Amino acid sequence: MDLFRKAILHPGPPQDFALQTVQQAIKPQKQVKLVQDENQLLENILRTLLQELVSAAVQSGEEIMQYGQPIDDGDICRGQIPRLLDIVLYLCEKEHIEGGMIFQLLEDLNEMSTMRNCKDVFGYIESKQDILGKPELFARGKLVMLRTCNQLLRRLSKANDVVFCGRIIMFLAHFFPLSERSAVNIKGVFNTSNETKYEKEAPDGSSIDFNFYKTIWSLQEFFSNPGSLTPALTKWQKFSSSLTVVLNTFEAQPLSDEEGSAINLEDEGSNFSIKYLTSSNLMGLELKDPSFRRHVLVQCLILFDYLKAPGKNDKDMPSDTLKEEIKTCEERAKKLLEMMPPKGKEFLRSIEHILERERNWVWWKRDGCPPFEKQPIEKKLAQETGRKRRPRWRMGNKELSQLWKWADQNPNALTNPERVGTPAIMDYWKPLAEDMDESAGIEEEYHHKNNRVYCWKGLRFSARQDLEGFSRFTEHGIEGVVPLEILPAEVRSKKYQAKQADRSKRAKKDDSRGSLQQVEESQSVTPPANEIDMDGSRNENEGSGAGGESDGMIALSVDVSQGDTSATPDEHQKQSSDGDADGDGLEAGQIEAEVGMNNTIADGEMDAEADLDVVA
Amino acid sequence: MGVEKMDCTNWDEDSYRDGILQERETLSRTVFRTAFAPNPNPNPNSDHIITASSDGSIASYSISACLEMGCGSARGRNWLMAEPQFLIQGHDGPAYDVKFYDDSLLLSCGDDGRIRGWKWNELLGSEVSMEGAKMKPILDLVNPQHKGPWGALSPIPENNSIAVDSQSGSIYAAAGDSCAYCWDMEKCEVKTVFKGHSNYIHSIVSCKLSNQIITGSEDGTARIWDCKSAKCIQVIDPGKDDKKVSFPSAVSCIALDSSESWLVCGKGQFLSVWNLPARECVSMTKTNASVQDVIFDNNQILAVGAEPLLTRLNMNGDILSQIQCAPQSAFSLSLHPSGVTAVSGYGALVDIISQFGSHSCTFRCRGL
Repeated sequence: MDLFRKAILHPGPPQDFALQTVQQAIKPQKQVKLVQDENQLLENILRTLLQELVSAAVQSGEEIMQYGQPIDDGDICRGQIPRLLDIVLYLCEKEHIEGGMIFQLLEDLNEMSTMRNCKDVFGYIESKQDILGKPELFARGKLVMLRTCNQLLRRLSKANDVVFCGRIIMFLAHFFPLSERSAVNIKGVFNTSNETKYEKEAPDGSSIDFNFYKTIWSLQEFFSNPGSLTPALTKWQKFSSSLTVVLNTFEAQPLSDEEGSAINLEDEGSNFSIKYLTSSNLMGLELKDPSFRRHVLVQCLILFDYLKAPGKNDKDMPSDTLKEEIKTCEERAKKLLEMMPPKGKEFLRSIEHILERERNWVWWKRDGCPPFEKQPIEKKLAQETGRKRRPRWRMGNKELSQLWKWADQNPNALTNPERVGTPAIMDYWKPLAEDMDESAGIEEEYHHKNNRVYCWKGLRFSARQDLEGFSRFTEHGIEGVVPLEILPAEVRSKKYQAKQADRSKRAKKDDSRGSLQQVEESQSVTPPANEIDMDGSRNENEGSGAGGESDGMIALSVDVSQGDTSATPDEHQKQSSDGDADGDGLEAGQIEAEVGMNNTIADGEMDAEADLDVVA
Repeated sequence: MGVEKMDCTNWDEDSYRDGILQERETLSRTVFRTAFAPNPNPNPNSDHIITASSDGSIASYSISACLEMGCGSARGRNWLMAEPQFLIQGHDGPAYDVKFYDDSLLLSCGDDGRIRGWKWNELLGSEVSMEGAKMKPILDLVNPQHKGPWGALSPIPENNSIAVDSQSGSIYAAAGDSCAYCWDMEKCEVKTVFKGHSNYIHSIVSCKLSNQIITGSEDGTARIWDCKSAKCIQVIDPGKDDKKVSFPSAVSCIALDSSESWLVCGKGQFLSVWNLPARECVSMTKTNASVQDVIFDNNQILAVGAEPLLTRLNMNGDILSQIQCAPQSAFSLSLHPSGVTAVSGYGALVDIISQFGSHSCTFRCRGL
């Protein structure tokens, strides 16, 4: 031990003599690295030495980090204890001795010191952060370090030592990897014990608006436990009405620049308080204080961020009306922050930045705290590609440059007949139309309506080319968008039974004609194409009111017609196209008359006709 | 409407009709002026507020009592009818103004051309004075009538506003015959008559330091008068050089700041701020509705008008804030030293706004 005591006083950098001293003291088995027992021995020696030094320092009344005559180490002068730490740190760093030793010593030192000395010790730790954070040392000492820091934090007063607390927390944040999750509040539990007490009864002779006083402080209850807001709508309503009153008031009494700057002058560390006092007598002063208002508004923003953040399941998501309310409140709060002197705009910008980061952390936590460190393999790849001399591309990379040049190289691309264009919706929807034919027996799994990309593309096409069809989407879903013309006759008729219901009434009147015959007949009737839209829309209106016993009969009759003719939908169309040839010859007036009579006829034939028009 | 009134077994149609009529009347009444009562103890508590309404009644309400009744929390369109501490029939026809003289005398004026004074302590002390309609004023001043040929007398001109200068013992009245009168309180007679306006006078303030008064008239001008000589020193015509204010409108309200060197005039939709020593217009601001009352709050201006908003401006005429207030059209604005503001107006509504800008209570005044 005396050897070490002398060694501390030895001038010059530690690497000159440290290893030598250890070798002298322990006489190790290996030259440069100590084995387990030797480490233990050395640790005991060092800890005793440290203890002696500290007690000597305390007795002498000096600050422990400055104790003893300063030892000249190159250009800096240090006390004995930092010197000892320097030597041990050097040995640890070079792996001559076990890495955890320095951490053990630091913990001892912190536990032995008074709070004021701890500040110095911690300053030492901060200055050696780079070395302590090296992977080999970090792995040995992270738990001890965490314990030391937490112990320190526990000893410190949260109200008076905020700066030191902050230093410790900052150190921990740097010391541990970014994705270290031990300190993460994984479940997002709120500190509900942080209760803000305020006066419930107005004191006698109070000159302030006591209702307002209660309103503004009652908000704290919600801020301390935002989770309580979402499930209960009544609570949210209470909160939002209170908040509106507060925001109204803030808006009604904007702070002038003088008030803003007056506060700024005394805004120093000593005036920093962790919590505002809630006496009703202070209300007027607090409302004039921009930092008080800022606290309340920032609390609001934090709360809104929490409410907008995605919950664990979709049920937790706020409803649309709630979202809307949150949005308006948030905008108001932000505007108030922006207008508030001093430097409202800058303040708001930093707050938004901080909240943005906070949101990222929330997402990170939701994704299960993935580590940020990239795998070394990727790094190597990146380096390899980096080493090669890449040709410089004009637009940044090869693909973009090619795209850029492509137009020059293909001047007739636009007029190229083989150019891929938007498909006509008639063609596009055919696969779905075929799937909708139940007789085809497409399994649900392969049904086109379940192909979301297909549906989405189709909806885009329909929105451009066939607005009327697109509008059917709201009522009938994706299958409603498919143009009626390309639907198989069977599906068509099923969907639009209402018309046929009307027709069935007529069929009852006119018994001489069989329903089957009528279907066939009606298919040959060809109203002009320009009537289709009108009828189609009417068809929709009637479709919703469909019902009654006649439906079954009609469906049956159509089946029969199909069975009889044993025609595929395509053949139906052909048939009707034959009829169409005749119909075209008719005068428009006549046709319209006919349509007037027959406008209750199922639109199947009209659609078929329209389809033909498109084809032709 | 109480339940017993709705009982059809002993149906009293008259009382039912009267009830409905009274309710309608209440809704259409206007509070033309409010005044905070002086408080003898140092506690800056603004408890009593006196109202002058269009039915000629002078009433006092206790704000703390109103809060207990629940006027504070009731937002929306249904304001509670507050119970006054006392209610007196002050004037025949509408009462236009109430002011305190030396903290002990309550002055009121109205359409009947009278200025009446009541002892404040007696009013407060008489517990049973809820129906103090018969209470006698200790002071009753009647505006002089103009004599025409053959002894014809003009009607008594109404008093639109009064100003008090207790140091010299005078009351200034803005009368409807386009004259302002200075009354001597000792002798109860007219000391001075200020003639010069070409139309009736809306408002009047007195400058105690310079022994002047300033009047605002329907003829669109404000005039500064010297009290000794009863001569007009200066005619202020807000917006004379300004093309924006081409239409003729009255100077409906004027206010002086505490140093008596700044004057603000409300003319139509415009607010103009004047520096009196320099006799210059400093700023001119257009508001959304015509201004109906204006006061100074330290170096800021509070204004109300024919919209449910209390506007706060700085001396440059920039709008600092606008607070929603209850009356659809506000006629009066009064400020307590503690910063509490009372806005009152159409619908017999009084809205008390705390120094923080929050609504501490809103109530409807009771009719006679």
